[in-house]
Amino acid sequence: MTPLEPKTSFSQLNSRPILLQLGGLYGIWLREVKRAIRDKGQLVGGISRPILWVLILGIGLNPYFRGEVYGEVTFVVPFTYLQFIFPAVVALNIMYTSVQSAVSVIWDREFGFLREVLVSPMSRGTVLLGKVLGGATVAVVHGCLVLLLARFADVPLQWSDILKAIGLMALLAFALTSLGVVIANRIRSFEGFGVFSNAVILPLYFTSSSVFPLDPALTRAQTKVVYPEWLVNVVQFNPLTYAVDSLRGVLINYNQFDPRLGIGIMLISGGLLFTIAFLDFRKM
Amino acid sequence: MSSKVSLNQSAVKIAELTKRYGRTLALDEISLDVRPQELFALLGPNGAGKTSLIHILCTILRPDTGQAWIDGFDVVKDPLAARRRLGIVFQEPSLDDRLTVYENLNLHGLVFGVPRKVRKQRIEEMLNLVELTEWADKTTRMLSSGMKRRLEIARALIHDSAIMLLDEPTVGLDAQTREKIWSYIKQLREDRQITVIVTTHYIDEVEGCDRVCVIDHGKILVLDTPEALKKTYAQQILRIIPKSDEVLQEILTSHSHRLTGQHGETILLKTDDSFTESFLSEYGTRIRSLVSEVPSLETVFLSLTGRELRDQAAGVRERTYAFGKRGGEHTR
Repeated sequence: MTPLEPKTSFSQLNSRPILLQLGGLYGIWLREVKRAIRDKGQLVGGISRPILWVLILGIGLNPYFRGEVYGEVTFVVPFTYLQFIFPAVVALNIMYTSVQSAVSVIWDREFGFLREVLVSPMSRGTVLLGKVLGGATVAVVHGCLVLLLARFADVPLQWSDILKAIGLMALLAFALTSLGVVIANRIRSFEGFGVFSNAVILPLYFTSSSVFPLDPALTRAQTKVVYPEWLVNVVQFNPLTYAVDSLRGVLINYNQFDPRLGIGIMLISGGLLFTIAFLDFRKM
Repeated sequence: MSSKVSLNQSAVKIAELTKRYGRTLALDEISLDVRPQELFALLGPNGAGKTSLIHILCTILRPDTGQAWIDGFDVVKDPLAARRRLGIVFQEPSLDDRLTVYENLNLHGLVFGVPRKVRKQRIEEMLNLVELTEWADKTTRMLSSGMKRRLEIARALIHDSAIMLLDEPTVGLDAQTREKIWSYIKQLREDRQITVIVTTHYIDEVEGCDRVCVIDHGKILVLDTPEALKKTYAQQILRIIPKSDEVLQEILTSHSHRLTGQHGETILLKTDDSFTESFLSEYGTRIRSLVSEVPSLETVFLSLTGRELRDQAAGVRERTYAFGKRGGEHTR
């Protein structure tokens, strides 16, 4: 007696492993994007956040954006506060959305979706990459929502600038989504997104020279007279500082550092965080 | 490269599988074979090791020692190949509630590498089978729990699964839905010639299976057809609740050789018709209740494990799950 062959045989399936993984990658990516589109709460956040930051905070603080250095009242940077904060708000919107979609790993874990893909022939790396790319895509879209406010912030944009900005946003979103997954993997119980917002996103954001500049015209010694030394150090150690800086370079042509530094830091930290997330993921 | 092992005509082979969680032994050198196209039931009280066994088979849990093969593929060495042959329905729902019914099935087809044409055709076929065709474009959130279960069964069969693992597929469902789900499972076994391994709490569902494996404390207690089990182990049992402690003690001392179990004030005695009669005439006025249980798999189970099948209290996982259901957490 020989075991009967199944009616539909395996030869019907994609037998090329690479095609199989790519198909699955697309499936997981598509799911992330679809979920985000259907989540009205996330969309409301993505629209209201830049409006608050640009139109309320930006316009409100605009007249105060000047510094008094050694008795001389000048604009610290040759831009209005609105223009100055605009690229940072793009980064902020990306941060929220990236981390938020990464944190959904916790729900995927608790509510079984992750289990469903973990028992599929997808490798762990594909599952993670699909998840991160999906989250990053949504985050870039939310970053672009901010660009719609450009004319209210007096930021003239060329198409080429927008394309360059999207490239930078994608790098940033990839790194931040990986960061979110790394954190989510280490969390067993979930008390809400507020914890993330207050413990991760806002501290990173406020210490990245996004809401106030560290005047590049000043020497290091002079900077430390204007600002306490610890704050200067924190800002300089925060990788987000360089990401925001390169976004500024593209959007308003203002760089405090070498723009290549920002790209390099985003690439390295993105790769590093993704690797950590991958190592964690393999244990699941 | 995948290395397929010939398994002497078993669809699933398990050899001396052991799994420990800290100091608890979840699986203790379990070995068993499941034949092709068999409907195989795993029966055991909570914490017996059923779910651990299922998780090892679907490669999300690594065994400490021992081996297991799915359709000839080692679950530890060749998990990807093993997974392609498996259709799994987990104990907890694992559908994406924000995707539609169709999208859930399509996603499954994508991650299992089912080519577009076959995928479309399969989805249609399976939706038809579980009678959810009209719901294809509805969000999964809108489905009842019975419908979700049916959808999960459909999903497990979108790819060419040869072996289906169902972990408590009917738990928490009403009798009608349970019956329906079983009719799908049986029909599938005929149509697709698949092997089905199912764990369940409900004894009556086990009656229709080809073979039953009772496990407890990580060990296989028996493995046989339901009929053979009933013949060998079933025992008519008297379930007695005495009126007072004195009576309880009296029964315990005078019929200690018939005692099979005691939970609080309930006493279980082995019995036959003549014993029941004499027991009633002796104690008839001094007991609060007496139930004579006819031989069934339930009593087989009881006499083997000394325990009843019952639901456990909510654990951490259930509580988090309940939080998510209530909370409307927007990251979901």
